[in-house]
Amino acid sequence: MALPVSLRNSITPPELELVASEELVEIIPLISIERTAFISGAYGPLRPPNKAKLPLWIAMNLKMKKKCHIVPPDWLSVDFLQNRLAQETSRPEFSEFPFRFAEIAKLLLDVASDDIQNSDKVRSLLKDIREARQAKSRDGLQKIDHSELGLPNLCSMEINEIRPFFVRAMGVLTHLTRDPEASSRRLDV
Amino acid sequence: MEDDYYSIDSILSENQKIQCTFKVDIPDMGHLDGGHERDIKAQSKIQLPLWLAFILIYSDYVDFAVPTPFSSRVRNALNAEAKSVRLSALVGAGGHWYGFGKIIMRLLDDAQANEMSDLLTKTFRDRLAEVIDQAQHFAALGPAGGGGQSGDSALAFREGLEVTERELFSLAQESAKKTKQWYESTDRLRR
Repeated sequence: MALPVSLRNSITPPELELVASEELVEIIPLISIERTAFISGAYGPLRPPNKAKLPLWIAMNLKMKKKCHIVPPDWLSVDFLQNRLAQETSRPEFSEFPFRFAEIAKLLLDVASDDIQNSDKVRSLLKDIREARQAKSRDGLQKIDHSELGLPNLCSMEINEIRPFFVRAMGVLTHLTRDPEASSRRLDV
Repeated sequence: MEDDYYSIDSILSENQKIQCTFKVDIPDMGHLDGGHERDIKAQSKIQLPLWLAFILIYSDYVDFAVPTPFSSRVRNALNAEAKSVRLSALVGAGGHWYGFGKIIMRLLDDAQANEMSDLLTKTFRDRLAEVIDQAQHFAALGPAGGGGQSGDSALAFREGLEVTERELFSLAQESAKKTKQWYESTDRLRR
């Protein structure tokens, strides 16, 4: 295989970020643009001060040119995150988040932190949540077996981080676990 | 770990030797043992590599004993605390303990094989969390390298890692490093 070793096991975080930038966000445009066709569909028209829904990558592009304000999603607020952090630390299961929340949150905090209220607090809450969830997936490691693994509500970035070694570990366990049919089959030969 | 024909790990696992007792005379093959005898006599004990022993055991020419890396002494140590056993030191040549065990497992009868399988899976699972923890710890240290606070037991554990565990270690370290890099990178410069 010509692909470098580091890319064979799973896709990289920047690639996930790229995928996540296709998600739609709400913006308040500061310029007007006619309805424009893209490969993924037509967006617009932008008429200030009416809100519009655009893919994240266009929104970021406009934001960097100071041509819009981004309306942060409901879950990117101190109240919501504090609530979820409490849930995360008090209950054994993973609490519910949008699948690509880690990527979207990072992009918005990087580019549009002035549109997010109390962005420093949001940032530190996200970090706490991430650590709480990491501790849980670490505990899950001890229950791993060769046949199946259910991790409901785990998000894309977290799955991507644990994928290479979880998959490998399960593969090893498959080899170490004895298949009762294998021995009888062998004796038939 | 795989049975793939081209797998180097599989070849190395099969290169481990086990103690075999011949049940029958093998004429004119004494030179294989390196001795000066003309024949291999019944009841003589010879260390044979697994790839050769496998077929001899199936053809019922030889008997074998469960090798020392899986003896009751090792089992007891693993039951007591799997993390403090140096798996790589139990077997020579890079330490394919799991691969070795897997082949032995196939040679045993059902009851013993199940016991062996339990031993292997339990050991693997008991050690896995520590492998991943340490890998993530080292990923977090960055290029400056390790040393410092990690204690002697952690160091001993790393030195005792089996080949398969080393592979997992580097997988976990690599992906933790990449994710950390991404979280710490910033797009603010693009503005």
